[in-house]
Amino acid sequence: MDLSVSVVSRETSRGLGPVFGLNGLPRPMPPKTIRKPKKAVLFFEVEILDAKTREKLCFLDKVEPQATIAEIKNLFTKSHPQWYPARQSLRLDPKGKSLKDEDVLQKLPVGTTATLYFRDLGAQISWVTVFLTEYAGPLFIYLLFYFRVPFIYGHKYDFTSSRHTVVHLACICHSFHYIKRLLETLFVHRFSHGTMPLRNIFKNCTYYWGFAAWMAYYINHPLYTPPTYGAQQVKLALAIFVICQLGNFSIHMALRDLRPAGSKTRKIPYPTKNPFTWLFLLVSCPNYTYEVGSWIGFAIMTQCLPVALFSLVGFTQMTIWAKGKHRSYLREFRDYPPLRMPIIPFLL
Amino acid sequence: MAAAAATAATKGNGGGGARAGAGEASGSRKKKGPGPLATAYLVIYNVVMTAGWLVIAVGLVRAYLAKGSYHSLYYSIEKPLKFFQTGALLEILHCAVGIVPSSVVLTSFQVMSRVFLIWAVTHSVKEVQSEDSVLLFVIAWTITEIIRYSFYTFSLLNHLPYLIKWARYTLFIVLYPMGVSGELLTIYAALPFVRQSGLYSISLPNKYNFSFDYYAFLILIMISYIPIFPQLYFHMIHQRRKVLSHTEEHKKFE
Repeated sequence: MDLSVSVVSRETSRGLGPVFGLNGLPRPMPPKTIRKPKKAVLFFEVEILDAKTREKLCFLDKVEPQATIAEIKNLFTKSHPQWYPARQSLRLDPKGKSLKDEDVLQKLPVGTTATLYFRDLGAQISWVTVFLTEYAGPLFIYLLFYFRVPFIYGHKYDFTSSRHTVVHLACICHSFHYIKRLLETLFVHRFSHGTMPLRNIFKNCTYYWGFAAWMAYYINHPLYTPPTYGAQQVKLALAIFVICQLGNFSIHMALRDLRPAGSKTRKIPYPTKNPFTWLFLLVSCPNYTYEVGSWIGFAIMTQCLPVALFSLVGFTQMTIWAKGKHRSYLREFRDYPPLRMPIIPFLL
Repeated sequence: MAAAAATAATKGNGGGGARAGAGEASGSRKKKGPGPLATAYLVIYNVVMTAGWLVIAVGLVRAYLAKGSYHSLYYSIEKPLKFFQTGALLEILHCAVGIVPSSVVLTSFQVMSRVFLIWAVTHSVKEVQSEDSVLLFVIAWTITEIIRYSFYTFSLLNHLPYLIKWARYTLFIVLYPMGVSGELLTIYAALPFVRQSGLYSISLPNKYNFSFDYYAFLILIMISYIPIFPQLYFHMIHQRRKVLSHTEEHKKFE
């Protein structure tokens, strides 16, 4: 760092001369023999090595000091078109952390020749695509079971309808939930990170689609047993479900308003006028709290063990995410409200 | 050294991905291994387990000599086999509390699969106990475990004979496929009895709206061997190349 600064200042003083003409007169054309006047910047050299083999993949000899990692990735792509920017991970240390796209070359602890290590992150896919496939699947799969298409429950039940009201209500709730998620993905969420590895889509779809099929199979089964406490249980469950869905939506809207379109800024989310967002007083990720609540509601409504298991697995995963988010809030904001817990008020 | 050896050892009967392998290299340098109390405990545990599997080995040989036939030897070692294989559950605990630096998930997976086979298949389906396939995996496990636990013990004491290290990373080439065939054949033999008796199965309707078909579950388990077995086997071959060739190089320098 020190080195680069001193070099820059030297270059600058040398370069200042010809730029300003004497007495404000137009500067005379320098004789051809003299070197072409250089702009008052020093260029950095960037070499990119493979993080595993240390093989030199690319050498960029003129990189502006203000260049961001994103720009370097773009330059790198020109010589290696198979690695588009989202696939690249560039680091200062072969085993270190990936540099952020916004990082500026000048501000990194490197000399005028920066050595960056490249790792291929594998094929990438956009978050929006992943979310849409993840959520469209369960919506569609559940309906296959609801309508009892052939080859699921035996021939005599093909396209029959359940005699239990709760089964129809459950179908409405399930479909509503995933339609809501799809619409939110399209119109509400703002993704700070553009892509994820392609293999994630297989993993995530197996999880969402598999669980949806498993739950739908039992809920729409001709031998389904309705809830033990009848209409009362269903009403209570529906209330929980609806409140949590509204809550979840409110939080998503609040988070959207927190981040202006196209920016990557991060702020502490606070409760707004909408009472559903008041949960922000107690937890960092109320959207997960409400999401878990919705599934608990759905489990009570259907009284189906696989739904309860899905809620449990989802809760575990969301707790992990919430803890991560909570930690990053604490790290980033010194004045972060101390009362907040990651996902469950006062507990977890 | 002990920690590194222990890591390699737990992956013994075959686990470990590339990530675990990498962790092993850096982990052994950073961590000093378990404390003296934990080491003492681990030595005792591994000695007991080695002895336990030796008891099983001796039991098998004695029963064979007494009977003059290798059929139905299972009954002669049923109790110690159940006891010491179930005792392997402690290994999960060791990983969980961190005195053995291996992956909890991987160790659980390995130990649970064996405990499952012992209790949920062989113990539960009496009809398969006299099958020769049971003997196939019992022999494979017995030899593997005697070597594995003694490998552990010696590593913890920092006196690992090369013979044990070599055996640990060589015999699996035969023993691992042998054990897996025994396991698969045993599950296969259990299938018709499970279907007939409806063992461990739950059927609809019930108020939890859930059903479970143990027969189908066992078939799924058998299918799961297809992707898992080659992966673990080639991982072990890779480990073998790494561990054994490394030692030979070392010897040259000394």
